[in-house]
Amino acid sequence: MSPQSEEILLRCCEVTKRFGGLVVLWEVNLEVRRGSLIGLIGPNGAGKTTLLNVISGLLQPDSGRVEFLGRLINGLPAHAVVRLGIGRVLQIPRLFPHLTVEENVLVGVLFGRRKPPAREEAQEEARKFLTLVGLEGKHRERVGKLNTQEKRLVDLARALATEPRMLLVDELMSGLSLVEMERYTTLLRRIREQLGVAILWVEHVMEAILGTVDEVVVLDHGAVIAQGSPAEIAQDPLVIEAYLGTGAREVLGAHMGYAGSS
Amino acid sequence: MNARPVLSHMLPVLGTGIALAAVPLFVRESGYVLRIATFLLMLATYAVGFNLLFGHTRQLFLCIGVLAGTGAYGSVLLVRNAGLNPVAAIAVAVAIATGLGAFLSYVGVRRGFGVLFVGIVTLAVSLIFQNLVLGLRKYTNGETGIVTQGLGVGLAENPVQAYYILLAVLVAALAVYQEIMGSRHGLALHALSDDEVSAELSGIDVARYKVGVAALAAGFISLVGALFADWNGFISPSLFSVGHVDIPVLIVLLLGGMRTLLGPVVGAIVFTIVDAIVRPFGQLTVLAYGVLLVALFLVFREGTVTLLQRGWEMVQSSTQRGQVGRGVAADEDGDPLSQRTNSRAKSPY
Repeated sequence: MSPQSEEILLRCCEVTKRFGGLVVLWEVNLEVRRGSLIGLIGPNGAGKTTLLNVISGLLQPDSGRVEFLGRLINGLPAHAVVRLGIGRVLQIPRLFPHLTVEENVLVGVLFGRRKPPAREEAQEEARKFLTLVGLEGKHRERVGKLNTQEKRLVDLARALATEPRMLLVDELMSGLSLVEMERYTTLLRRIREQLGVAILWVEHVMEAILGTVDEVVVLDHGAVIAQGSPAEIAQDPLVIEAYLGTGAREVLGAHMGYAGSS
Repeated sequence: MNARPVLSHMLPVLGTGIALAAVPLFVRESGYVLRIATFLLMLATYAVGFNLLFGHTRQLFLCIGVLAGTGAYGSVLLVRNAGLNPVAAIAVAVAIATGLGAFLSYVGVRRGFGVLFVGIVTLAVSLIFQNLVLGLRKYTNGETGIVTQGLGVGLAENPVQAYYILLAVLVAALAVYQEIMGSRHGLALHALSDDEVSAELSGIDVARYKVGVAALAAGFISLVGALFADWNGFISPSLFSVGHVDIPVLIVLLLGGMRTLLGPVVGAIVFTIVDAIVRPFGQLTVLAYGVLLVALFLVFREGTVTLLQRGWEMVQSSTQRGQVGRGVAADEDGDPLSQRTNSRAKSPY
């Protein structure tokens, strides 16, 4: 790999977040390099979404630093973080129901960039991202008419329209069939390759992640308990015992074979 | 952008202005009707401000009366007690009210108040204002009020001129509204009124929009309040109470249609007619307003303008279905952003 692709985009240093007396994140350290695809896994309540909220500026950490491209970003409001180049896809898409599909994406084009393009170009850009996620031909529909999967794709297109260098994806796969999961996995890979976007991908569904990501970070009770390649994580006894539970070894074994052969 | 006829999106504003400008020609001999028509203009302008606040930024300001009253009492007291000339006094009072509106909005944004909490806090501000005016009896004469004759620009002496000045303010407010909605800021306001978190995550500075809109709305509302003080010849705190200003404005906006350009005007016309009918019942009008408001919230949240528009769209689509080939071809060319014509102008800019 060239030194440039090794460049660190995001660095979380000792990030701690409490909700009242409850420690949700405890001294979390995390690095995301340019163009990398990192999976963030952990059981329910491990603090995965909270970590994404802290990075995207929706929550402020109680202590620790969040740096993006060497710049301290905790304390910045969410809209400023977006403009610096961190896009966010929510677990449950929250679109603008009074706007059309294209207008939803257009909002990202016009407000999520530091230098928004002129009108004609902005509209073209919006359609470009709708095509990328496979929603061409739907651009004039009201988002209320879309099904949940399509709404997720609109949300993804809107996040991409802000031209992020890093995309935070939150449980894209929940409630999907295996075929649909495969489609999303392919889509995320394509986004990374075509746009060079780094992706921090929170996921509950292990199968979806292990064959795709470069690196896995495991969060449990707000702390990072393991970090490494999918194969390493699959062998980590701490992860297997504390998080995956018994019986998961077989599932992982199958995926290790898959990851090893590719 | 250069191909766009610059003033096409202002046609509804101009049309409304011209239609309302004709009113004094028909009612010249009746001072009473002109008075009601002038009041209608003020109500409509309040509602334009409230539409920006509540319709577009979800800020339920139940202190429209306070903002108007700040314009009214501010301008009158500055002339009477500080010796300012009336125009300067109005300007200072409007500036104060603009600051107040921005401040209230800023507090709400900073503290993360939801819609209802903003409503409660601003309602409390209304109560404080009433007590403040009563308490500062030395300056305000308390409930007795102030006779404003000779303290303003002379609107009371010249009702026709007053009508046109207030019409100019309404048209200006509508034009500003339309200009904002036709720009990219309009798209931002539509987005943030749908979902503030998503708007923020799309790069929209929600706080700045909310505070900016509150300042703008407060400016127009207080200007009308100051002109009202002069035109009415008399001010007292109860004229700016929630029951006298905020409730009617809320009804006007719901009746006419939130998030629309002409909703405030249509609502003000309907409300004025209804008000004229129920007026003979005295105190019962309050009951009528209450029932009306509940009914509106339950079954008619979209308003007259939206309803008419739906009807029009249905008529159009049924005629289009009659001539499929042409209809579709014309459709493909169309700018998707111009599909809704009322509050959305022809382009995202």
